[in-house]
Amino acid sequence: MADLDQKPKVGASRRDFLRGSGIAAATAVITGPAVASLDEAKAAEPEYKVVADTVTLKLQVNGKELSTEIEPRCTLLDTLRNRLDVTGPKRVCDRASCGACTVIIDGATVYSCTTLAIACQGKKVETVESFDTGPTGVPHAFVQHDGLMCGYCTPGFVTACKSLLDRNPNPTLDEVRKGVDGNICRCGTYIGVLEAALAAAKAMKGA
Amino acid sequence: MPTNWPENPKIIGTRVTRLDGMAKATGRAKYPSDSHPEGMLFGAMLYSPHAHARIKSLDFSAAEKLPGVKAVLPAGNIKAGSLVRFQGDDIAAVAAETEEQALDAIRAIKVEYEVLPHVATEEQARAEGAPEVFKGGGIVKNVRKGRSVTIGKPDDAFKGDDVVTIEASYSAPVITHVCLEPHGLTVRWTPEGKIEAWASTQAVGPTANELAGAFEIPITDVTVHTDVMGGGFGSKFGADIWGVTAAKLSKKAGGLPVRMFLDRAHEHMGGGNRPSAIAHVKLGATKEGKLIGMIAETSGTGGAGAGSAFPLPYVYAVPASSRTHSDIFVNGGNARAMRAPGHPQGCLVMEAAMDDLADKLGMDPLAFRLKNLKPTDMVEDGFSKPTVDRTPVYHDEVEIGAELIGWKNKWKPRGHVNGGSPIRHGLGMALHQWGGGGPPTNQVACTIFPDGAVEMKTATQDIGTGARTIFAIIAAEVLGLKVTDITSNIGNSTFPPGQPSGGSTTTPAMSPPALNAVTLARDELFTKLAPALAANPEDLSLADGQVLVKGVAKMAWKDACRKLGMQPISVVGKSSPGLASQHGGVAGCQFAEVTVDIETGVVRLKKIVAVQDTGLIIDKLTWETQVYGGVIGGLNYGLFEERIMDPTSGIMLNPDMELYKLAGASDIPEIVVHAYETPAMKARGVIGVGEPPTVSTAAAIGNAVANAIGVRVPHWPMSPKNVLDALASKEGKA
Ligand code: FES
Ligand code: FES
Repeated sequence: MADLDQKPKVGASRRDFLRGSGIAAATAVITGPAVASLDEAKAAEPEYKVVADTVTLKLQVNGKELSTEIEPRCTLLDTLRNRLDVTGPKRVCDRASCGACTVIIDGATVYSCTTLAIACQGKKVETVESFDTGPTGVPHAFVQHDGLMCGYCTPGFVTACKSLLDRNPNPTLDEVRKGVDGNICRCGTYIGVLEAALAAAKAMKGA
Repeated sequence: MPTNWPENPKIIGTRVTRLDGMAKATGRAKYPSDSHPEGMLFGAMLYSPHAHARIKSLDFSAAEKLPGVKAVLPAGNIKAGSLVRFQGDDIAAVAAETEEQALDAIRAIKVEYEVLPHVATEEQARAEGAPEVFKGGGIVKNVRKGRSVTIGKPDDAFKGDDVVTIEASYSAPVITHVCLEPHGLTVRWTPEGKIEAWASTQAVGPTANELAGAFEIPITDVTVHTDVMGGGFGSKFGADIWGVTAAKLSKKAGGLPVRMFLDRAHEHMGGGNRPSAIAHVKLGATKEGKLIGMIAETSGTGGAGAGSAFPLPYVYAVPASSRTHSDIFVNGGNARAMRAPGHPQGCLVMEAAMDDLADKLGMDPLAFRLKNLKPTDMVEDGFSKPTVDRTPVYHDEVEIGAELIGWKNKWKPRGHVNGGSPIRHGLGMALHQWGGGGPPTNQVACTIFPDGAVEMKTATQDIGTGARTIFAIIAAEVLGLKVTDITSNIGNSTFPPGQPSGGSTTTPAMSPPALNAVTLARDELFTKLAPALAANPEDLSLADGQVLVKGVAKMAWKDACRKLGMQPISVVGKSSPGLASQHGGVAGCQFAEVTVDIETGVVRLKKIVAVQDTGLIIDKLTWETQVYGGVIGGLNYGLFEERIMDPTSGIMLNPDMELYKLAGASDIPEIVVHAYETPAMKARGVIGVGEPPTVSTAAAIGNAVANAIGVRVPHWPMSPKNVLDALASKEGKA
C-alpha cells in the first residue's frame, strides 16, 4: 500500500500555490520565516518553510479604506472574515467550487477563497453587505421569493445575481441559470433563487 | 377555554416571507462560524491521513513552540497506542492567534503511524480473506448480520403457477451531508467558570447538555447560542468531539474564545453520511398484479461504527415477506441521521422492484402500484400509529400527480423507441411515507410588553425551515397583529425547552405550545383590560391592531398594552392534544420525466412533480420551499452524489465540492409542487415537511431512466458510467 504518511491538510494547497505560482509580491515581503520541522520520514523531501510574518494591507471594501496586518498567503476571503469582520462571504469549499465566498472586484465576480488579499490592493472590493436593501435590491427579491433556507449559500447567490444584473439587466431564465451556475445550495433553494433574480431585474428597471 | 387552531385564519396558511430573510440575504446574519468574540483564537484539527493505523507516537513539542500557538491537545482520548479507524478520524487540535498559525501548528505535530490493513469498501470488507478490522459486538468478518424478519410464508408464496417473479439487485452509495456551514462552534469560558458557545447545531439543548456533561459542570452554567446555522440535515445534534475539544483548548488558553470549524475535506470524512444500501430482491405477484411475496437480503455500510438500517418492504402491502439485513463495517466515517434516515434507500429498492415487476407483468406501473397499497398510514416503526386510511389518499395524490406530469399521454412501456435518435425519453414515479409529527414536551414563552411589543421565546432553532416566522405567524394570528410586529427569540439553550430539529418535528412540536402561550397571554390581557373598557373579558377580541368590544373597535393595540403599566404579561405555553399530529403520517408521490442520451449516458431531468400532504400548513411559502428543497436533495441522490473510496489507499477520492457532485442551477428542471390539503388532512394538526419530499425523488428518477432506455440501471446515482454500464450489460445479453 502506498505510504501516504502524514500529509498536511488545508495548508498543502496554499503552500503549493505559493510555491507553484511564483508570487513575486508574496515572496518579496516575507521577512522572518519561522521553520516548522515536519515528520522525519519527510526529511528527504524539500523542507517546508512556514511563512509567519505579516505585512500591512490596505483594502477598499464597500467604499471604506480598511487596513490590517496579514500574512502574504492570506486569501481575500480569510482576510475579510477573520481580520475585518466582513462575514457576508462564507467559506464553504475553499477551493473555487461552490460560490459561497463570491465578491465583486472592480466589477468582476470573483471567488474570494482563491484570491490572495495582497493581490486586491488598490482595487474596489464589494461584498453583499453593501447592496441596496430597498425594494429594488437583489436581497429584497430573495426574501420575497424565498430564495433561501439556512441562508449560508445566500450571500454568494445574491452577489452572483447582483453581478449578473450589473452586466446584463435583462437576463433570460437561462442566462440567470448560467449566472449562478458557479454557486451551490445544499438546502435546494434554486427555484426561489431563479424567481428572485428575474424579479430583481424587473424591479431595478422600474426604479 | 381549550385552545384550537382558528377556523378561518387570516395569516396561517398564507404565504409569509421570512422574518430573518433580510438579515440572511444581506450577509448581516451572524452564523456561529462568523462569530468573533474579543480575543478569539482560531482552532484547527489534525485528522488521520490513513484509513486504518495505530498511532505509535504523538509529539506536540514543535507545534507548541510556534508563534501564536496557545494550546495543543489530543482529540478525545487519543494517545500513543490509539487506533484511528478512518481517514478523517480525529487526532489532535490546536488553538492559535491566527488561523494560519493554527494550521502551521497542525503541520508541526509529529505523529508516527503504524499503517494497518484496511477495508474501505463494502466489497473489500466482505471479500474472502479480508482483514478482520472490526471485531466484537456480533461482528464476524466485518459483517453484523441482523435478525431476519419474516411475515407469513414467503417461500410458499412463490410456488403457485400464476406467479410472476423478478429477482434483481439494486444499490445506492454512501453520500455525505455536505452542510455548507461545517460542523463546529465558537466557545469560551467566562471568568466565573461558565461556558458560552455559538454552535452550528440543530439542537441547542442537547449541545449544551453535552458540553456540561463533558466538563461535569451544571447545565445552568452552559449557554449555547444558535441564532442561525448553515444546514444540518440530521448531522448536527451535539457539540461533538470538535466542540468539546475546542472547549478544552479554550480552558487551557485561560478561557479565551476558540473558533473551531471543520475544513471541507474533514466535513466529508467525519461529519456524517447516509449509509449505502445493497439489496438482492425477489418480488412476486399474481398475473392480475396482486403482490404475493418478497424475499430480500440487504446490506449497507454506516462506516466504522454505525448501522445501515432501512425499511423494506416499503409502502406496499406484501402478504408474505422475509428480510435479512447486514451491517457492513468499513474504514470510513460514521453514518449519521440524514434527511429521512433509511427511507430514501428503502424507497428506491422497493420502487425499482415494483417497476421491474410491473414491466414483467406487462402492466402500467401506476395501476400496479395502486393495486397494492397498504391501508395504514405509516411505515410501522414500533412507535407510530396510523392516523388516516392512507389508500384513498394515495389514490387522490397519484391521480393529481399523473395529471400534472401528463402520464396518460406521455407514458409508454419500457424501452419504447421513437425513431433513431439516441435521446430517449422516459417517465417514472414513486411513493413515499414519513412520520413528521411532534412530541408534546416543549414550551414557548409569550410576553406582551406595555409598549405593545410581543416576544415569542423558546430553545429551539432554525435549521432553515423558518422557525422564527412560524412563531410570529401564530402570535400575529391570535393577537390580530402583523407578523412583523412579533419578535421571535430562539436559538438559546437557556430559553424554555424547545424541540431539536430532527425528524421533521420542529414545526409540529413547537406550534402547539406557541398557540397555547399566545392564547393564554391574550386572555390575561383581556382580563386586565376589561374594566378599563367597561366590558366583560369574553366580549373582547383582537383584529387589525385594535381591541374590539362586541365586534366594535375601541382601542389601538399599543394603547391597550399601555394599560398594563409597568407589568408585562408573560405566559409559558405547553402543548395540548389535537394541535399537532403526534404520530405524523405524511406521504406523497413523485413523478420524474427524463431524457437519456444512450451514447453518452447523460441523464437530463425535464420535469419533476411532487404531490405532498402534511396536515395543517402554517406558512405556505416556506412550506413550498421545503418541498422544493427536499426534491432537489432527492435529485442530487438520484443523479449525482457518491462518496468514492479508493480500495488501494482506503481514502476518499472526492472530499471536496468539485468531484463530489451536487446540482447547480442548470441541473434543476421544472418542479411542480402540489400541496394535498384537504379538510381531513388539516384536521390532523401540524405535521413537518422537511424530510418526506426528499424520499422518493431518486426512486422516481431511476424508474424514469429504466423506462427511457429499456433496461434497469441497478446502481444509483444515474451517472453516465452507471447508465452506460447498464446499457452494455443489456447488449452483452442480447
Ligand atoms: S468557498 Fe470559495 S468557491 Fe467555495
Ligand atoms: S440555503 Fe442552505 S445551502 Fe443554500
